[in-house]
Amino acid sequence: MTTTTTNAGADWKSPEAAARVRKRHAGDLRLKFAGMAALGFAVLMLAILLVSLFANGYQALRQTHASVTFELSAEHIDAADPQRGNYRAIVQDAVQGLFPGIDNPGELRSAVGILSNGAQNALRSIALNDPSLIGQEVTIDVPLSDPYDQLAKGLVDRDSPEDQRRLKDADIALFDTLQARDVVSLPINWALVTNADSRFPELAGLQGAIWGSFYALLVCFVLSFPTGIAAGIYLEEFAPKNRLTDIVEININNLAAVPSVVFGLLALAVFIGWFGMPRSAPLVGGMTLALMTLPTIIIATRAALKAVPPSIREAALGVGASKHQVVLTHVLPLAMPGILTGTIIGLAQALGETAPLLLIGMNAFITEAPSSLVDSSTALPTQIFIWADSPERGFVARTSAAILVLLAFLIAMNAVAVFLRSRFERRY
Amino acid sequence: MQDAITNALAIKVACDKVNVHYGDTHAIKDVSIDIQDKTVTAFIGPSGCGKSTFLRCINRMNDTIDICKVTGRIELEGDDIYDAGIDPVQLRARVGMVFQKPNPFPKSIYDNVAYGPRIHGIAAGKAELDEIVESALRKAALWNEVKDRLQSPGTGLSGGQQQRLCIARAIATAPEVLLMDEPCSALDPIATAQVEDLIHELRENYSVVIVTHSMQQAARVSQKTAFFHLGFMPEYDDTEKIFSNPSDKRTQDYITGRFG
Amino acid sequence: MVGYTFLLILLLSAVGFVLNRNAAQELRAGGSRLHSLPVFHGGYALALAGLPALIFVLLWLMFEGSFVSALVRASLPAEAVAGLGAGELSLIMAEVQQTASGLIFGEPAQYVRDAAAYYNTLHSISDWAMFALVLFILAGGIFLARRSVATEFRARQRVEKVLSGLMIFASVIAIFTTIGIVASLVFEAARFFALVPITDFLFGTAWEPQIAIRPDQIAGAGAFGWLPVILGTLVITFIALLVAVPVGLLSAIYLNEFASPLLRKIAKPILEVLAGVPTVVYGFFAILVVAPALRSFGGDTLGLPISPNTALAAGSVMGVMLIPFISSFADDALTAVPRSMRDGSLALGATQSETVLKVLFPAAIPGIVGGVLLAVSRAIGETMIVVMAAGLIATLTINPLDSVTTVTVQIVTLLIGDTSFDNPKTLAAFALGLMLFIVTLALNVVALRVVRKYRELYD
Repeated sequence: MTTTTTNAGADWKSPEAAARVRKRHAGDLRLKFAGMAALGFAVLMLAILLVSLFANGYQALRQTHASVTFELSAEHIDAADPQRGNYRAIVQDAVQGLFPGIDNPGELRSAVGILSNGAQNALRSIALNDPSLIGQEVTIDVPLSDPYDQLAKGLVDRDSPEDQRRLKDADIALFDTLQARDVVSLPINWALVTNADSRFPELAGLQGAIWGSFYALLVCFVLSFPTGIAAGIYLEEFAPKNRLTDIVEININNLAAVPSVVFGLLALAVFIGWFGMPRSAPLVGGMTLALMTLPTIIIATRAALKAVPPSIREAALGVGASKHQVVLTHVLPLAMPGILTGTIIGLAQALGETAPLLLIGMNAFITEAPSSLVDSSTALPTQIFIWADSPERGFVARTSAAILVLLAFLIAMNAVAVFLRSRFERRY
Repeated sequence: MQDAITNALAIKVACDKVNVHYGDTHAIKDVSIDIQDKTVTAFIGPSGCGKSTFLRCINRMNDTIDICKVTGRIELEGDDIYDAGIDPVQLRARVGMVFQKPNPFPKSIYDNVAYGPRIHGIAAGKAELDEIVESALRKAALWNEVKDRLQSPGTGLSGGQQQRLCIARAIATAPEVLLMDEPCSALDPIATAQVEDLIHELRENYSVVIVTHSMQQAARVSQKTAFFHLGFMPEYDDTEKIFSNPSDKRTQDYITGRFG
Repeated sequence: MVGYTFLLILLLSAVGFVLNRNAAQELRAGGSRLHSLPVFHGGYALALAGLPALIFVLLWLMFEGSFVSALVRASLPAEAVAGLGAGELSLIMAEVQQTASGLIFGEPAQYVRDAAAYYNTLHSISDWAMFALVLFILAGGIFLARRSVATEFRARQRVEKVLSGLMIFASVIAIFTTIGIVASLVFEAARFFALVPITDFLFGTAWEPQIAIRPDQIAGAGAFGWLPVILGTLVITFIALLVAVPVGLLSAIYLNEFASPLLRKIAKPILEVLAGVPTVVYGFFAILVVAPALRSFGGDTLGLPISPNTALAAGSVMGVMLIPFISSFADDALTAVPRSMRDGSLALGATQSETVLKVLFPAAIPGIVGGVLLAVSRAIGETMIVVMAAGLIATLTINPLDSVTTVTVQIVTLLIGDTSFDNPKTLAAFALGLMLFIVTLALNVVALRVVRKYRELYD
């Protein structure tokens, strides 16, 4: 040994050493705080996202209505053909009755605007349902049109200059008259889920979108679930280890990372362009989503199969069962909770997918819920996109509310997945 | 106190009634031991007897395990190492450690050895750092094998070289005590012999504590041996005495191969 | 009718299954030793009757539409379609189909009504023919299967062979999908490059995808140079990574090294929620909250010239979307670093941050790089956030305050609404799609390889 080892013991207690260690520990704190800040930022963003959605969305959970008496006068409706009655005139008469002071047609026209166009439809369906009411008076709650709805919810600043408001002083006066008469109410807005889409925010609802999403997910599930399980079983249990299997595996992994819009292009070119399938149909949407969900289910199936201990396989093989019997009757049932969890998560992703559905036309303006797989329809996320694009003030709140509905579905699906996972987590 | 150390081998680490709990498990029970300077002390005993656990108390590596609780008193040159005023970061620079499996960092050989001096700010400049690295590698008997490829990754060395690299890394911070946790268990016989030679040389400057499974190894490299059994330390004595004439029945059973 | 056909298949398959199984059970009850269990004989009936019928129906439905349309198109009176281009013809066909399904707008021409009637007739003929043929196939299958029931018959082997075949088919669907993607993109893009030279597309610096309304329109040719579009994509991707990479990495380090188990248990699901939010929601968030906030802070407070569709809004929101992605990759990578590395560093007296930054992090770099590459691929392919929050006009700029457009935005805007497959505007979307596919595929392949190599390193 030629080197001189200084026994550093004494140095550690010097003030310089202490200062140095303090500095190094300060590095710990800095990193810790940076990490906390980063995590806090992520959480804060989520909080802002949710709070802004709730803050906007809750406005659309209620809708201003006015209780108005209409006379279904036989003058305007032919009892033989209630479909074609002049309901506009009936509404006009009723509004005239509400505001006796109005005496010129222009003022009356703008006063009629206080009620939603839905009033006419509501009256028509009343007359159609019960023609005996024609000639009588009916009192119903009709939604107010969007600007008045905003006013009722206090979203219009009455003190701002008149030319910066959509409602003029005269309009506000009309509304105040109504309110003074105690006919205005603000009930829960069930129309949000029972109505289909509409150009008028106060009438627009998600029924069509919910059914469209339901049909598309149904198709997606029916196609991708059995296929995904079959492919997962084959690749995990049966496939020989060769080049082809490798290619299939790489393929599946890559497919899982292909941008969703590319799947939309595929659907547009192949399903719609080459096979001539209908545009905007949940069937095509579901098929597209199935292709996107397939890798998720295959990967989940393989993971779940892998988690089944080999002893179970060996035990069953040992008593003379064939490989197919072992997999189908012993391994698959044990893997099922894991597969279901993966499938639900895959379906939840599919429910939120928007871009491919836009490309196959599921963003059409459709005022009726689809009644079959091939009817034109929207889906929840595309409906959100349409509403987000609409200029009317009322649609901002509706979009937020629609997002809350979508998130509610997603949360429910994920809750089921989490439940399944915790309930059946590896008990063997 | 310093005067006393010079000739007679001074006590480097004094442990008094050390107890370790892992959650509900009582892993170390009332162990008291005085470890001498410039001596190789071997911890032997059957698996799970607590020898590695005890070793990890001496540089407070057990602190990194949440459920681990250490009570009792361990003094390094008279300072209670579990005292609030002692920083484990400094302590571990004074008490180095070599692990069972070679664990070089995925860095160059040079950076591996320079890691400790760099973080502790031991070297004043590049030249001094070079010197420290060379000296550590020389002491670890690795210099001649790697001097031409100091910048190649440490993970590219053979198992025995990796372990000597880890030893070099540990002594680069000029520790006073070197703890070795079964340093040869992952090595082949030739590499083991090299490391054992190395331990022998290290004794000139350090207090070395080595946990080993192999009684032959303990007999070859150590001057003092402590026998651990079920968390207790029934016997601690000169290695020669332990292997020729143990006073405890359990020790005798162990070294004659009745269990373990 | 289609529904009834499926019901028929279901019912008769069940009948075939039960018939065969019972026949086999009777044989066994009669004292013979069967080679295969009765349930396999039943399964054999399914394979022989239900499966062919199902395949038949699916093929029929796949080709029925275009076949009927071709017949109807051929039946249109010559004078009505004389001299019409493909686009106008497809408009007429659309009208015919709408009329046929009862959606009548205005007063369709008589020949359209006739064609619609013909269309409906053809469809119902087709449906009935399908029903009858399916019935025939099912009956034949059940008959053949029932005849085969015998003690020595190796029903199990046959059924398992069919099952294996089905499973192999399911596995190669993934390959078919890829082939379908490549084929459709290449095919449509090739048609585009027949109209617009590929060099113009790859090296052109102007993107103005208008098409001439009149043939003699001078400015109507449009320009299809994708450089400004891809540049815009890269600007937004870069902004997104600028947000996501540091935040994601630091969150992962914090959760991995400093956070208490309880905090980890709370924070991880929160990050997962962030990952599960649909992108259309992020898009709305960008236009509802982030863009106005940036405008009022950057524009009004700092006086920066921020465009309403600034790349910052879309990019930063996309970054938020990618945070959980990066952090989960970094988390996995850090966790994969063996404990011995951490112990080795701590035993040398390193502090926690030194251990993380100088040992763990460098050791985890390959895995993290793989994750970041996947995130880049995600960002480039992300659609809804940019469709809603980024601009439509392609400008050759790297100023993040400006409005830029992206590949995906252009694809969507070019294809939204009614589209026909014969003008460069529509086809350009497929050319962009092809480029998008190539770029993301390359990134994914490299990233997956890096990640896999890294896993092998410490396994």
